[in-house]
This record gives sequence, C-alpha cells and structure tokens, in this order.
Amino acid sequence: MAGHWIAVAINVVVGLTLVWVLVRTIQGRPIERRIVFVYIALAVATPLFMKLEAPLAETPEVQSIVTTIKELPPGSRILISFDYDPQSAPELQPMAEAFIKFAFKQRHKVIIMGLWPLGPDQANQAIRAALEDPSVAELAPEYGVDYVNLGFQSGNEFVIQGMGSAFKNMFPQDERGTIYDNIPILRGVTNFSNVDYVQVFSSGKPGTREWVQVAADRFGATVGGGTTAVQAPEMYPFLRSNQLIGLMGGMTGAAEFEKAVEELGKANTFLLSQMFAHATVIVFVIFGNIAYFRSRRRDASTDAPTPGGIS
Amino acid sequence: MPPAPGARSIASGGRVLILTLTLITLTSSLLATDPGPGSIAPPTLIMVNDLDYDNGESLTISWVPSLDDVPGQSEVVAYRILRSSGGGQEATIGTVLAGESTFVDQSVNRDSAYVYRVATIAANGGEGYSLPTDAVVPNREWLNWDLVWLFLACLVLGGSVVFFIETARRGKKLFVRKIAGLEAIDEAIGRATEMGRPILYIPGIQDMDEVETLASLTILGKVSRQIADYDTQLFMPVARSLVMTAGRETIKTSYLEAGRADAFNEDMVRYITDEQFGYVAAVDGYMVRERPATIFLLGAFFGESLVLAEMGNSVGAIQIAGTARPPQIPFFVAACDYTLIGEELFAASAYLSGEPRQLGSLKGQDVGKGIAMAVILIGVAAATIAELTGSGFFAGVVSTLQNVFTTR
Amino acid sequence: MSLDIGVWIGALLTLGIFSFLYRDNPFYKLCESIFVGVSAGYWFCVFFFDNMVRKFYFGVFPSEAGIEPKYFLIVGAVLGALMLTRLIPSIGWISRWPLSFIVGATAGLYMMLFFVSNGLNQVADTMLPLYRETAGGDFDPAETLGTILVFIGTFTGLIYFFFSKEHKGLFGGAARVGIFFLMVTFGAAFGYTVMSRMSLLIGRMDFLFRDWLGLLG
Repeated sequence: MAGHWIAVAINVVVGLTLVWVLVRTIQGRPIERRIVFVYIALAVATPLFMKLEAPLAETPEVQSIVTTIKELPPGSRILISFDYDPQSAPELQPMAEAFIKFAFKQRHKVIIMGLWPLGPDQANQAIRAALEDPSVAELAPEYGVDYVNLGFQSGNEFVIQGMGSAFKNMFPQDERGTIYDNIPILRGVTNFSNVDYVQVFSSGKPGTREWVQVAADRFGATVGGGTTAVQAPEMYPFLRSNQLIGLMGGMTGAAEFEKAVEELGKANTFLLSQMFAHATVIVFVIFGNIAYFRSRRRDASTDAPTPGGIS
Repeated sequence: MPPAPGARSIASGGRVLILTLTLITLTSSLLATDPGPGSIAPPTLIMVNDLDYDNGESLTISWVPSLDDVPGQSEVVAYRILRSSGGGQEATIGTVLAGESTFVDQSVNRDSAYVYRVATIAANGGEGYSLPTDAVVPNREWLNWDLVWLFLACLVLGGSVVFFIETARRGKKLFVRKIAGLEAIDEAIGRATEMGRPILYIPGIQDMDEVETLASLTILGKVSRQIADYDTQLFMPVARSLVMTAGRETIKTSYLEAGRADAFNEDMVRYITDEQFGYVAAVDGYMVRERPATIFLLGAFFGESLVLAEMGNSVGAIQIAGTARPPQIPFFVAACDYTLIGEELFAASAYLSGEPRQLGSLKGQDVGKGIAMAVILIGVAAATIAELTGSGFFAGVVSTLQNVFTTR
Repeated sequence: MSLDIGVWIGALLTLGIFSFLYRDNPFYKLCESIFVGVSAGYWFCVFFFDNMVRKFYFGVFPSEAGIEPKYFLIVGAVLGALMLTRLIPSIGWISRWPLSFIVGATAGLYMMLFFVSNGLNQVADTMLPLYRETAGGDFDPAETLGTILVFIGTFTGLIYFFFSKEHKGLFGGAARVGIFFLMVTFGAAFGYTVMSRMSLLIGRMDFLFRDWLGLLG
C-alpha cells in the first residue's frame, strides 16, 4: 500500500511540473526531448504500483468473440494460431492466457499451432499459466486429449492453404513428435470443417489478415482475431463485412476480454499505465502544437530561424 | 455488431443447396425415426448432397430440425453429426448449434461411401437419433462453376493489363498523374552529393515474395543509376538474404549502365539480420554514426517504421518514404519529407521505370478501380432506392451485384 | 531482487538499449551488437533446422513409420540448391530461376487472396442503402451516418488512387476528400500504434520492476 501512495504522490508532483513545461513552451523555450522521455517513463512505471482500476468500455468486436465461444457446445474444437514472438508478448500474451483459460473452462478442445517459429513456445507459456489457475487445474485438461500443440510450420499463408485440404499434411506430427493419427483430440479432424472456431493471435505477417483471406474466405472457417494495436485498424474492414467475427485489439482489447470472461490478468494490471501514458502523450501533443504555432508566428514577425516544437 | 457466428455457415449452406443438382438421398420420412436415450425428438428428412464443383472433398448434410427445436424456448442444445463408412464404426464428426440445419463434412475421401445419422442433443442430456442415410460417394469435378464471376473479373482485369502492356510496347505514351514524392528524388540525391554524405536505402523488412519489396527494388534501380552518375556513397542494409542478392543485382546493373562498374562494391548491400528490432538497432546505429544526408524508406514496413523514420529525422536527413502498409503510413507522413501513400509506391515504380509491364499493370488496375467505383455507385443507389421505395427490381439489382462480387 | 542469471542478463540488456534515449554510448553499442549477433545466429538455426532438417530431411526420410515420404520436396531442394550457383560467377545467372519461381508463385496466390478478400468482398459489402432503419423500422441516424461515411470514404479514396487522370476540377476535389479520409484513418492508426508502443514499454517496465527488482507483488 505504501507503494501506491508513493506512486500517487509522484504523479501529483509530476503533474504540477507540467505547468512549468507549459510556461516554458509559451515563452518559446521548449524542453529537451530527453525530459519528455522521463515523463513517459514515470507515466508508465508509477501506475504499476497503484491500486486503482482503469475504466473500460464494452465493444461489440470483443463481446462477439466471448459470445461465440460461450455458445459453442462443450467439447467443440477450437484452433488457436500463435503468430507472434516475445516482442509482442506484453500485448498478446495476456489475451492468449485469458482465452485459453476461458476455453478450458468452457470444456472446449484446444488445438494449437504457430506460423511464427516462437509462437508455439508462447502457447506453451500460456498453457502453463492456465494450468496454474486452480479452477482450470481442477478440470485437469490432458495433453493429447483436451489440448495439443502442433508446433510451428514455416510457409506463411501456404500453410493455411495446405490445412484447407488436410491439417495432417502440414503437421504430420505434433510438437512432441507424436504422429497426427495417434493423437486422440485430432481424431476426425481433417481440415477446417472439423474445427468450430479459429482464434488467431498475431502481431504482423503472417497473421490475422492471412487467416481471413485463406481460412475464412476460402474455406469458410469462423475466424476471430487478437492483434497488436498496430495491426488492429487494418482489421476493421474485415470486421464490418463479417469476414472476421470479432477482434481483440492491443492491450485494451485484452483487458476488455479478461473482464468479459472474468479472468482478470496482466492486461488489466497494465491498463492504468496505458491510460497515464496516453494522457502524457496527449499533453505533449498539445504542448508541441503550442510551440509549433508560436515559432511560426515568431518566424513570420522576425523572419529569424527559431526552433520549432519540442527539440 | 457482427451477426451470430452460425449465420455465415447457414448462408453458404443455403447457396450450396441451391447449386447442388442431384445425389439427394431421402432416407427417412417425417415419422420414421429412432428415438435414442431420453425423449427428445430427432431431426428428420436427413439429406446428403455432394457439393458441386469440388475435388470430391465434401458432402453437405441437411435436415429438418427437431420438433423440440423451437426458437427462443428450445429444449435442444445442438445437433451431433455421426458418420460411418464401409460398415465401420460410427463416429461423431461434428456438432452444430440448435437452430442450424446444415453441416458440411469436408473430411471425406473420394470414392468412399458414407452413411450419416444426425442426433438431437437436449439440455437435459437426452439424445434423439435419426435413421441412417443411404450411402453417398463424393464426386470430383474439374471446374468450379461457382467461381465463374471471379474468373470473368480476372479475365477483364488481366485482359486490360495485357491490353495496356501491348499499347505501351507499341510506343504509345500512357498517362500517369504526377506523384509528388518522385520529384524530390533528384533533389535528395543532389543534396547528399553536395554534402559528401552517404545515401541510405532501406527496402523494408520483407522478402522477395512481397510486391512492395519488388516495387522498392525497381525504384532502387533508378535511384542507384543516378547515384552512380553522381558518384555518391550508397548503403543498403537488408533483413532478408534474398533481398540482399536481388539488391546487389539491381545496383550492379545500374552501375554497369552508368559505365561505372568499377565503382560498384558488393558491400553497398549488407545483410543485417532477419530479426525485426535487431535490424532496427543496427540501422539506427548506422544513422547516428554515419549521418546520411538522404534516406529512402521504400517497401514493406511494420513496427520499425516509426523508429527508423524518427531517427532519420533526428539526424537531419531528407527522407523519402513509401509503403502500402496502412498502419505505418502515418509515421512516414509525420516524420518524412515526402511520402508515397499506399499504391503510389507501385505507381512510382511504374512511372520511374517507364517499363511497359509496370505501366500496363497500373493502367489495368485503374480499369479495375473504375469498375469498382461504378459498381459501388450503382449498388448503393439501387440499395437506397430499394430501401426507400421497397422496389423489388432494385433489390434484385443489389442482390445480383452482391452475388457477383461475393465469393464466400 | 531476482537471483536468476537469465533475468539479470535480460535486465542489463534492457537498460543498455534504454540508454540510447540519453545518447549513443558504448554500452548501447555492446547491447546492439549482442542483439544483432544473437538474432542472426538464432534465425540461422531456426531456418536450418526447420527447413533443412525437419521439413526437408524428415519429409523425404520420415523418422516414424506411418508417415508417407514427400518426394516432391526434392524439386524444391533442387531449386534451392540452384540459388547457390550465385557463388560461381560464370553460372550465377541460373540462380534467377528459383527466384522467378518464388516471385511467380506468390504473385499468383496473392493476386487471388487480395483480389477476393480485400477487393471483391469489400466492394460487395459497400453496397448498402444510404438510409438505414433500426430493427423496429424507425430511422437510424447513427447507422445512416456511418454508412454514408463509409460510402464517401471508399469512393473518394478510390478516386485518389486513380492514376490515369490528373487531380483537377471536380475529380481533384473528390481526391482531396479522399485524402482527407485517408488522413483520418492514419490518425486512428497513429493512436493505435502509440498504444502498441506504450504496451511494449509497459511490458519492459513490468519485467524490470516485477521479475528483476521484485518490487511488484
């Protein structure tokens, strides 16, 4: 609790110093960029110590994933593609963990794969985290029966294309070397028509877009996406046309999903930092514009070169 | 809000049914059913249709829902589809939600015969089984007539491309509008020459299978030709080995054309690493140490776009950027002097090279865009009139256009 | 504070890369070189073991009974080997064949994927009435406005990317509306990306404070 109050105090002091920055900016003496970095660092770090809950809106794109999974009868097969690596883990790992926990609790069968080499490792981490949850551990999901990790396969969208004919062609063995036909969960799973839902967690290419183009548009699979915030805007046209049934975009998407499925995790912990960081960015965008317009006006009146914006 | 998840499968299932011609096996009458454990009514009139125009890979099973499957107050949770083949054991191959009445089985083999049953699953755990269907064998067809509109669209688009390529080859000048970023290339190279500082060319971080990388290399051809003439220093770090070989090839050709083969050096193009931010760290380091006067960022970029463009800006370089990745364009717009937005990258490549193939493709695509604009205009007008007046004719126009343009 | 050597290495490398925010320095250069070296080596191993060993070797000579050998992989291997002719200048031109194969095959696949998913299906989805009603049959202003904006944005955006006509007069005006919509899109994308970058920073901060320093529970 001491950490919480120290963090709050730091933020109050930092907030007050912004007045000093504003005054300097108006006077035409913009602060150095390294000071901006300090502000951002504090805005990101201090909320980690705070015990506050960030407000969160409900969006149809996240809720639609939750509804879809809830409506599937227990025992449905869900294919999850992990198309990212540790670099994007802060955004995608929380949503992957919450999703797997949720899928297990709904008693669905989970088939994991990756189009990125490190994807299946991220999946194993998410599975481990899910199994540590007492309510999941109680259900004791069994490898090979309730979930399987098919591992990584190179070839980008060609892999998805190949899976349209037969998963087995692309993944003759699972990550542990067991032959496809000997894995109980995969009995009767030939291609996309035998899985009820496809969830993609992706941070680039190949990723959600490729799954929409091949699995959804070509093979009629029901695809839901979980992307980094960078990728999210590109996915919205697919959402509008229902080529993609739902989308979790970035940390806020992850936090909303965690909340909707009552699996509060890291995304919700990080949300406050996100909020503080955004507020800081907005403040400096305003300051930057003040400095810019000020320097333009001075340029016009004195015709002398002056630094514009935050240098 | 997207529709219920089953909506799409129902829609496509409906289309399948309309297009299916024969091989319908009626196996049970409305009354001939086999009540399983529990007392829920089973589905009836199970039909198995071989999907037309496929590789013999799917059968569509459809049924009349259970009498207990009443929307809103249904006792039915789901339907389970069971299949057996060659007298073997019956296995569950899929489950669909209550309210649905089709299932596409894509796990069948050509030349095998399959028998199906569909079971109703009740909320209380009860099940009601239909009678088995007759055996059905999936067939293979060589042509998919479902995609005839797609074929025609490709033919029109491909035809226009070929037409314009031929027109350009015959020496007719094809008009391409001015692209602002291109006019700055001369100035940017000249500046680096005057300042005696290097030019940095970043072709994105994707491989040779990416059209943006190909467009970037075409522009590199023109840029490096000019650099060879001016005898300026060029450095091109790459993140893919194939791009390294292709880049070297391109620059070498330019230097040969400029008659300056001696000035070409393979180290102008250097492979850094496939790792995205490893690459960024190295290129940022280069920018800070060598302070290039001009930076080209043309190709497929992801998260590294901002870091690279911002660093280039901070070392005071003139930056000309271009990418077709929508999320990255804002950073280029903010941090670079000129930005080729989206397709302008490809247009620039065509414009600079003056190559009939590229110009023809660009013109052919314009035909495609023209058609898309016309169709959107007609479609929206017809849909609005249909909505306001309830006219069946205009509703028909919209649904026809949507059928032509939807492949799902 | 963590006693795990791996966490310590991770934390020091993170701080090393952060130090660039102050200015370029030897510590940053060291971290940068380690990152570049390790990642290049890592990707070499991934590609070698995944493509050459797991996919090709075990594809042609399966390790387990019950898996059919895929002899067609040999064709790919031969094409791949032709890439190495580049090392012998006199026959280096042969390396263009596999390159053409890669470019041709992917261009073909992409044309269909993008043409269908990003082209045709999107055009079909834009054909909506500009007057929308709620489920109850009343006028729906929000949905109507949304549809009108999507229509204008799509149409004028297409005009901006039409290269066969100079942007003048009415056409030029429409193109300017198009670029306006594009800029709004870029603004939204910018916001999302800022969010993404902040998330990465939060992840690192969490690592430093939780895993390394143990200050967070």
